[in-house]
Amino acid sequence: MDLDLPEDAVIDTLLQEISLPSTERGYLFVNAVLYDAPGLYASRNELLQEGAHIGIFSIRHMWPYQYRDGIRMSDSLKAAMEESGPMQNTYRKI
Amino acid sequence: MARKILRINMGALSFAYEEVPGKWAKWGGRGLTSVIVADEVDPTCHPLGPNNKLVIAPGWVSGAPAAPSSGRTSFGGKSPLTGGIKESNSGGISAQKIAKLGLAAIIIEGVPEKGKWYTLAITKDGVSFDSADDILGKGMYEVDEILWKKFSNEPAVIGIGQAGEKKLSNAGISVNDPENKPGRYAGRGGLGAVMGARGIKAIVVDDTDGPGVEVANMDLFKTGRKKLTDAIMSHDLTKPGGGLNLYGTNVLMNIINEAGGLPTRNFSAGQFEGASLISGEMVAEMVEKRGGGMTGHGCHAGCIIKCSNIYPDEKGDALVSCVEYETAWALGANCGIDDLDYVAQMTYQCNDLGLDSIEAGNTIAIAMEGGALEFGDKVGALGLFDEIRKMSPLGRILGQGVEATAKAYGVHRVPTVKGQSMPAYEPRAIKGIGVTYATTPMGADHTAGYTIAPEIAGVSGKVDPLTDEGKAALSLTFQAATAFIDSTGYCLFIAFPILDIETGFAGMVESVAGVMGLEADGIDAIEMGKEILKVERNFNKQAGFTSADDRLPEFMRYEKLPPHDVVWTMPDEDLDEVFAWMD
Repeated sequence: MDLDLPEDAVIDTLLQEISLPSTERGYLFVNAVLYDAPGLYASRNELLQEGAHIGIFSIRHMWPYQYRDGIRMSDSLKAAMEESGPMQNTYRKI
Repeated sequence: MARKILRINMGALSFAYEEVPGKWAKWGGRGLTSVIVADEVDPTCHPLGPNNKLVIAPGWVSGAPAAPSSGRTSFGGKSPLTGGIKESNSGGISAQKIAKLGLAAIIIEGVPEKGKWYTLAITKDGVSFDSADDILGKGMYEVDEILWKKFSNEPAVIGIGQAGEKKLSNAGISVNDPENKPGRYAGRGGLGAVMGARGIKAIVVDDTDGPGVEVANMDLFKTGRKKLTDAIMSHDLTKPGGGLNLYGTNVLMNIINEAGGLPTRNFSAGQFEGASLISGEMVAEMVEKRGGGMTGHGCHAGCIIKCSNIYPDEKGDALVSCVEYETAWALGANCGIDDLDYVAQMTYQCNDLGLDSIEAGNTIAIAMEGGALEFGDKVGALGLFDEIRKMSPLGRILGQGVEATAKAYGVHRVPTVKGQSMPAYEPRAIKGIGVTYATTPMGADHTAGYTIAPEIAGVSGKVDPLTDEGKAALSLTFQAATAFIDSTGYCLFIAFPILDIETGFAGMVESVAGVMGLEADGIDAIEMGKEILKVERNFNKQAGFTSADDRLPEFMRYEKLPPHDVVWTMPDEDLDEVFAWMD
């Protein structure tokens, strides 16, 4: 779907616009770059650029670590993973 | 009763039970098939000749009381596709039945008189050798049906389709599911041709009144079983209503596509515009809309993850089980096909003819690249299976897999390692998987390197998983962990809860220790996994493999993969580091 958002819109603005609680948000991509993972909140303040393609998945969507080892990630997500352990399959508390 | 080896000689049409030798006693599943193949098969033999063997082994816990999701059967031998050692494991109902007959492994050796084909029936009383004339030339759907009518007690049916009969290098081994349909395959590596070369069309396993699985320490087993079961039932991905249960492994289609790592049109791009139309979400939508199928299907009794599905046709009748991620990708995105009904029909053809769907999809993509068809030609792609069914010269070439087809069509973009084609993760975009594709003894294999917790893997603090450095060390520990899990009989998908939930890993180890009569802290999963890898790598070395075989295909070094426009940059020396500890 196409969305019109304010110029200073960030990821959280988008999630509010589509009424998706951030706790229900799983993997999140911006232009084929991974910006967030289930249970992490690294992307919430990332500014959205005009024409950006955003992919948002539910918390049920799995992505085993070995199948994302070496993919492109945002700096903020890398930092969040350094803190939480990059090799987890999910960061939600179980 | 201690586990036995059942040795079957197809030349003499005889069988014998043997004690498990001490050197094999600690192994099950993949560990056992690999040590037996290494001990008994000449690495230089022809895979289809009289000196190769087919080894079948359930995992340690398969058949133990209520061991969750533990129905994996390992098949081993020298691969006609790779020329190296092969272990390929399957779900379905065979593992528990073999284990409940008190068998650690079945070793099949020798060849019968030329032109003779057999159905072996294995029961508690031994093995019968029946003529297979009634099922010869038939596809696996009909074979399963005929054999359930012929034999009582709804036995496991391990069989080969026409591809195995003709000894094609892409022939897999089918195991029936609880509904007696084919679709559970030890698909990779051409072991169906190894079975065919022994003159065996099918093996029927009836465990009625068998001795059952001996559990040495039931208290420890039960303690571990509960921990593991609780972990599986609470993890987001494996619990009821979780990702795997709702959408199956095909939950990955849209994610990998978003990441730019979905191999498309014979590995020429990393995103497919039609990915959502062949995704797990679309499978679930079709099941809901049409009826007649299901998601959350279990491939064997006692599976609590239930990631399989039954895909319905347009009329709402069950068509095929199952449309999982690798299959939907290989026959879909990689061929530029975005029609799930055609993907499902091609999956049916693979199940019936006895073909590995990954290699089959990659082969069709190569034929498309070579100009036999346009990418996206779903009708033409489905028609290629008729060529294999007819065993026309073209069909025989296609049935040999990617490398033979690439030579026939003069294609240089050939996504293989050690002769086996790559699965659904683009190594230029997902670099870590590329290290495993390149170095696993099995040829390009996505199941060869599952993650376990860094502290258990012994890499915690030693490598930074977020950089390119250290990927060799990570790949080794992933491969070792996977070799261990492949030996347990548990489905690899327990790797998710045992990574994220500490008690899950402990439970897995305790349940194995309970069955085997070991102390839980006496099991070092990584060290045991490395032992298996060492055996497998040594076999390959003796078969003639060198470090030159541990490489990704050349085109990946110079062809940029959209959308990230990346090439494979891992230095060869880094790849050689993975198994440098063996030298």
